[in-house]
Amino acid sequence: MLLLPLLLAIEFGESDADLVRRLQRRDPRAMAELYDRYGRLVYALILRVVRDGGIAEDLVQETFLRVWNRVQGFEAERGGLGPWLLAVARNRAIDYLRSAAGRMRNAVELPETDHPAVFTDMEKELLNSDRVRRVRVALEKLSANHRAVIELAYFEGLSQAEMAVKMGEPLGTVKTWVRTALKSLRDELGTAVTA
Amino acid sequence: MNCDELRDHYELYTLGIAEDPEDGEIRAHLERACPTCVPGVRGARELITLIGATAPAAEPPARLRKRVLASIGGQTGSRWNWSPVWAAVAAGALIAAVVFNVSAHRASAELARASAELQRVQAEFAARTRELARLDEAFAILNQPNVKQVVFGGGAPQPPRGRVFLDPRRGVLLVASNLPPTPSGKIYEMWVIPKGGKPVPAGLFQSSADGSAVHVLPGPVDVAGTAAVAVTVEVAAGAQVPNLPPVFAAAL
Repeated sequence: MLLLPLLLAIEFGESDADLVRRLQRRDPRAMAELYDRYGRLVYALILRVVRDGGIAEDLVQETFLRVWNRVQGFEAERGGLGPWLLAVARNRAIDYLRSAAGRMRNAVELPETDHPAVFTDMEKELLNSDRVRRVRVALEKLSANHRAVIELAYFEGLSQAEMAVKMGEPLGTVKTWVRTALKSLRDELGTAVTA
Repeated sequence: MNCDELRDHYELYTLGIAEDPEDGEIRAHLERACPTCVPGVRGARELITLIGATAPAAEPPARLRKRVLASIGGQTGSRWNWSPVWAAVAAGALIAAVVFNVSAHRASAELARASAELQRVQAEFAARTRELARLDEAFAILNQPNVKQVVFGGGAPQPPRGRVFLDPRRGVLLVASNLPPTPSGKIYEMWVIPKGGKPVPAGLFQSSADGSAVHVLPGPVDVAGTAAVAVTVEVAAGAQVPNLPPVFAAAL
């Protein structure tokens, strides 16, 4: 039910592409709409990663400010604003985890803004609770080890070598689990994800 | 490497866990807009993005919206969020209307009001320009590859807390929250404390209504020679030496 207002906003409001064009014209109201559309998702994702409300607030602010400052390089026609925003949010949160663990900030740059063409217009999918529910069910169907490697990679930003150390398993085993888990998700989702 | 060899690595790349040589090869294929790898990575990105959307639902505090919009110079709760330039144009139009369309006596009063409005708009525009420059400086520091970051206030129950970023070329950026309002006539002052030296004044700032603050000391800084960055409450004109214990100190 929480997603209903968002869905209505998407169905009857302007598209992500229109929103990008207004952001590029430096319209602060476009930023307000961007926050109203994706702020809850961004906050939930960052909170899942850092597990601290205060830090999550700082990183949400940093995420939206980064998007505001980099949106000029984004191609509005290609859409994909939501996926890009979530990628930036994940990067900020994992970057924080790395720095908090004593690793240098910005030491590893995850794919984020490098190639706008790889961000598909997914606003309806992102804000569609049914689609997200199917992904959640697919994750729950994975074995414990397969689910763990996906969560360690996505929400903790660990490399495969770091996962192997953390789980006390050989690197080759972890690599196999990662590949198998990703294939299972692809197969399980079927048409949910368009390749 | 050819695209067939990279196909199984698209999702690993999108997750940020692809290894070389595949990681570098995919980047290179994307750089040249490879017609196979671009849609391939796009499909992988969809799957990985949907994983992110499975994070447990969480409601951000209402103040966060204001904070985000304030950080880009936006206003909340107003349908008429005119930019300063348009407001200046409107004020100018008002002046013209007054001069040409009303009696001299009323025009004089209107002109005075319009002039005051124009001055207010000009002052607001100047303030926003300064704020934009400050944010540009802040982002320039954040974007440096070797910026050193220090987190402070994480352990205390109701702390002023936040982070300090130091870049040897660009300067020092302080991002803080939970700052109590300063007493009347007082202001926050940042200090850069060199190893074995006395605190050096690093600029004055006030916290916003929600207790957050962003302060920048632009210019080169000796990061290796810095022991700590601290903040005290001082008189409004600032001080050359700290007069009170620090509100917080971030040790490097």
